[in-house]
Amino acid sequence: MIELDRRSREMVAEVRELGRQYMRPMGLEADRTAQPPPADHPFYLICSRKGGLVSRIVGEGEPDDEPALTWKPLRALLTAEESAYWDRGVALSLPGPGLGGAALRSTATPEQRERFLAPFADHSRAHWAAMAMTEPGAGSDVARIQTRARKEGEEWVLTGSKMFCSNGARSDWVVVWATVDPALGRQGHRAFVVEQGTPGFEVLRIEHKMGSRGYETASFALDDVRVPNQNLLGGEDFYQSRQGFKGAMATFNITRPIHAAQGVGMGRAALDHALDFVRSEYPAQGRRRQRALERLAEIRRGLHTARLLCMHAVSLAREGRDNSLEASYAKLFAPPVVFRAVSTALDIVGEAGVRNDRMLEKLYRDVKILDIGEGTQQVQRLVVGRQLFGLPRDT
Amino acid sequence: MTVAVATSTEVTSCEVNAMSGFILSEEVEGLRGAAARFAEHHLVPEVRGVERAGRWSDHVLGVLEGFSLSALDVPAGLGGAGAGSLAKVVLLETLAVGDAGGLPAADQPGRAVGALVACPDGDVAAEVATACLSGEAQAALVVAGADQSGPLRIEWAPAWPRLRWAWISQEDVLRLVEVIAAPDPTGALAFHASGGVSAALDDCPVVGEWKLEPHIGVQVRGRARLWAAAVAVGVAQAAFDATIAYTTERVVFGKPVAHHQGNAFELAAGATNLLGARLGVRDAAASFDRGDPYAGFWATQTWLTAIDTAVAVTDLGIQLLGGHGFLVDHLAEKRFREVRMLGLLAGGRDAAEADVAGLVLEVPDPIFSSGETRS
Repeated sequence: MIELDRRSREMVAEVRELGRQYMRPMGLEADRTAQPPPADHPFYLICSRKGGLVSRIVGEGEPDDEPALTWKPLRALLTAEESAYWDRGVALSLPGPGLGGAALRSTATPEQRERFLAPFADHSRAHWAAMAMTEPGAGSDVARIQTRARKEGEEWVLTGSKMFCSNGARSDWVVVWATVDPALGRQGHRAFVVEQGTPGFEVLRIEHKMGSRGYETASFALDDVRVPNQNLLGGEDFYQSRQGFKGAMATFNITRPIHAAQGVGMGRAALDHALDFVRSEYPAQGRRRQRALERLAEIRRGLHTARLLCMHAVSLAREGRDNSLEASYAKLFAPPVVFRAVSTALDIVGEAGVRNDRMLEKLYRDVKILDIGEGTQQVQRLVVGRQLFGLPRDT
Repeated sequence: MTVAVATSTEVTSCEVNAMSGFILSEEVEGLRGAAARFAEHHLVPEVRGVERAGRWSDHVLGVLEGFSLSALDVPAGLGGAGAGSLAKVVLLETLAVGDAGGLPAADQPGRAVGALVACPDGDVAAEVATACLSGEAQAALVVAGADQSGPLRIEWAPAWPRLRWAWISQEDVLRLVEVIAAPDPTGALAFHASGGVSAALDDCPVVGEWKLEPHIGVQVRGRARLWAAAVAVGVAQAAFDATIAYTTERVVFGKPVAHHQGNAFELAAGATNLLGARLGVRDAAASFDRGDPYAGFWATQTWLTAIDTAVAVTDLGIQLLGGHGFLVDHLAEKRFREVRMLGLLAGGRDAAEADVAGLVLEVPDPIFSSGETRS
């Protein structure tokens, strides 16, 4: 088990209070209207004024006595789980650098980090950033991205399209992954910061989703978008020495355990609903109650194991060790467990679980994306196989 | 030996605690390394021979004494090393990678440490502990169901050392009886290097009977399950390693067995579940070391996870070896039997599920519990 120090308990309590007051109601409203909260929602301004707390929730930084915008993976994990307990969609919509920040951490030069992350120290209004990797024809196999980057003088020109970009339409900037030559495969990948308002960078649509409606999911067109050479993350030397694709993967090694931890939070929400239901609605004794409690214990067992895998993965990252295998373990394990948790909770609540004035039917729709985003469990199994027993890439 | 948590100057106390089950202290890591070398060079080569002999050699037992195998998790007040559960599970798991066959016999009080620790009568506990630690006797642990009222039996215990007592754990009651009938030699599914006996407990003199707090009762059974979980993880790791070695060499339909995607996906899931089980074992052990009142709940949960995982991994081990896996030429079949037997000890699955179901409404989340209904 994990015991928290005073500061961490306070941090979790603060997230809990925000979750109870704002995130859960906002998530339910977004689900009902099928629209994410607008960018000018008062809650986002409250979050911005809280500054560091938001950074912690989205896993970006530490406030107060910690160096600004440094990364504390375990606390990011704790806040990810707790905020997702209340509403993962709204948690993903909170202001902050998001996945774009993660890409910066793994790829950018110190100068670029300072330049692009500096606006997030301005808490007078909400700021977002995002990352655009997926394309209509390149999802799990990100090596196949087709968005082209060609150099013209001191500029790069980007052409293509991107989809499934979280918070993309409201972001100050988006990290866009493109290729200098599709024939080069992963060697050809480059990451660029494209700032909002850049000519040719156009939001095509905000997607309509089955669940997780608390954050926007945007699709973009890039029509001869010109970005300065200084916006190539890491500079050209980075890609010569370390390969662009590895930079992208390093990003996911950081975010996969956090993604999995969000799932644990959602599973815990389902568990709490079911526990409450058994306490209040089930007979005090008897076979039916016993069976329900055994199933709830099984849910709890799976969620606890998932949490341990997440923490193990970030503990390696915290020590600067390669955690690509362990990040995949966490991401592979958690989503199916969470799905079963929600589904079992529905079983325990029974027909009442289908009503949309209860949380469980929403959770059932919300959780499915966990097993898709940031690498499906099938992709994770491929990653594990490659690392553990040399599974060829064409398998 | 003191089990310390590895720290660095930058790690917050939150992170120190969180990682205590994952990052081993230098001392425990040293113990693990020495045990791994011993297992590889001395246990593995003798696996089949000691099965036939029904016991580990005196040389092996002497080395294990040097590791403080039996004493490691016994409190110093009872004559043990007082190093705690985390060190013990790491040692058990590591030895089991080499050979688990003699562990039930060689490790005394072993699975019954929880009963020793819980026994309110210090003199009785000290007497049993002393006899067990000296290698003179063993005290079996029998888990009785809540509704069990008939005569009890020790269905299986190691054939050595001498079976002198039985702890009986029934809900929140702990009883110690003296075994007076001569145990009957019995074969068993696995652990042949420990031999096997069974014994009736009819009319046995009762040394003592104590009413425990309910969560302490679960701790008695939980520590036995934690022992089994640690061994299961070690056996499963050995099975997994052997499976990888074989399936990356053996070619079928033009490529290694492991490189067919259907097999690769199952192997990846096995590796994932195995790490999850190992982390769970260490986490539950750390909860005992911290004095967590619900340590028995977490140990029982992790036993369920470990057994599920180990049974699946060892089954996969045989499956992917094909017919070879069914032959005693390979150790796959031995490991397959061992982990299944570990899932039957300490009352088996029904008793474990009853224990966790009885506490699931009560045990708070270790991190996020606010002591209120939040949904």
